[in-house]
Amino acid sequence: MHLPRTLRHQAPSLLLLVAGGCSLHGAPAFSIAGAYFPGWMICALIGVGVAVGLRVAFVLAGIDAVLSLRLFTYTSLGVMAALLSWLLCFGP
Amino acid sequence: MKRIHLSGKKPIGILIAACCITGAIAVGAYVNYQTSAYPSSDSGSIDAELVHMASTVGGRLIDLRVHVNQSVHRGDILYRLDPVPYELTVKQAEANLALAHATVENERRLVTVRAGSAAIAEQQTIRARTNRDLAARTESRLKPLADHAYIPWQQYDQAKTALHNASVSLSEAEQQQASAQTAIGDLNSSLAAEQASAVALEHARYALSQTIVRAPTDGYVTSLTVQEGEVLAPSQVLFTLIANDEWYATAALREGTLGPVHIGDCATVYSMLDRATPLRGHVESIGWGVLSGDSIGISRSLPFVPRQMDWVHVAQRFPVRIRLDPANPVLLRLGATASVQIRHGAACH
Repeated sequence: MHLPRTLRHQAPSLLLLVAGGCSLHGAPAFSIAGAYFPGWMICALIGVGVAVGLRVAFVLAGIDAVLSLRLFTYTSLGVMAALLSWLLCFGP
Repeated sequence: MKRIHLSGKKPIGILIAACCITGAIAVGAYVNYQTSAYPSSDSGSIDAELVHMASTVGGRLIDLRVHVNQSVHRGDILYRLDPVPYELTVKQAEANLALAHATVENERRLVTVRAGSAAIAEQQTIRARTNRDLAARTESRLKPLADHAYIPWQQYDQAKTALHNASVSLSEAEQQQASAQTAIGDLNSSLAAEQASAVALEHARYALSQTIVRAPTDGYVTSLTVQEGEVLAPSQVLFTLIANDEWYATAALREGTLGPVHIGDCATVYSMLDRATPLRGHVESIGWGVLSGDSIGISRSLPFVPRQMDWVHVAQRFPVRIRLDPANPVLLRLGATASVQIRHGAACH
């Protein structure tokens, strides 16, 4: 039961690492090669990254074997990570 | 090969999955609530008011004191038109006014003269009446004498003739008096002409003053592409002045999110000239109308309604106008992309 807790602690730091690219202050839009991309698009990418990363981490840690309904679990975790990162970065 | 069941038999796994799904739905609902309660838009723009600089009079541009993109202050002289034609018009109007004034004086003298004539005519009437009365009395005194043949009939006839002559003279004098009274007249027409000349002079002076164009407000000169020598028609726009006294951000918000937006709400605006600097502003107004593409009302004909069978309708958006607090002028350029957050953001905490 230690490993999942460790991973759960790491998840926000991982999230912050990805979000580090987008500075936490400033406009909720990013200029890439002269085009402005909305902030939520980066949050969606964070969600995808977190879901994939958690899958890899859980398989390595053996937690994956305990899970069932894996598609829904990882999708939900990714969605949560995306929404939470949006709230953290751009939320009111 | 191991067969993987979608619904595993591990209760702990199902519990975890249920927790994750519930959490995701809960966070999703919360985010949905937040986005509708605190609307934002990435497609705003920085806005300011414009003045299309033109003079109400025309003429040749002889003195252009600004160049494009220059900052000007309220009251600065921007350009001057050739004043000579308007100065000549002023001189002409002055001469016309002097003429009208002289006419008034002339007319006043004539009125005095005619009033004197009328007074003479009145005296003449009195004299004619006195003469007529004397002649009438003479006639009435001589009649009994003539009846008794104390005096010759010739003398009585002369008295009657004198009475008739005096009566005719009195009638003439009365008519002359009436005519002389009417002929006095008044100064009304010449005074009105003088007033008209004075107004024409004021108008000419106003036109002359319009050959100098001053800045109506602080601002920036744009769209200036001509030099001195250009001939301008009346009201022809020479350049556009971007007013620098008030700046705004205009953001189009979907109609469903306009509910929580109120006049005076704080707003965080990022000019994309520098996306790290938040600008503070307040909602000033929300647009009352936009042109709908669904139907075009043509006033002279029937409304045009295209046939369609759309099931999904994209929300209409209305422009929300946000007045910005004084900010770094470097960030304020009309038309710059703006990101707008209503009632939240870095400037509203």
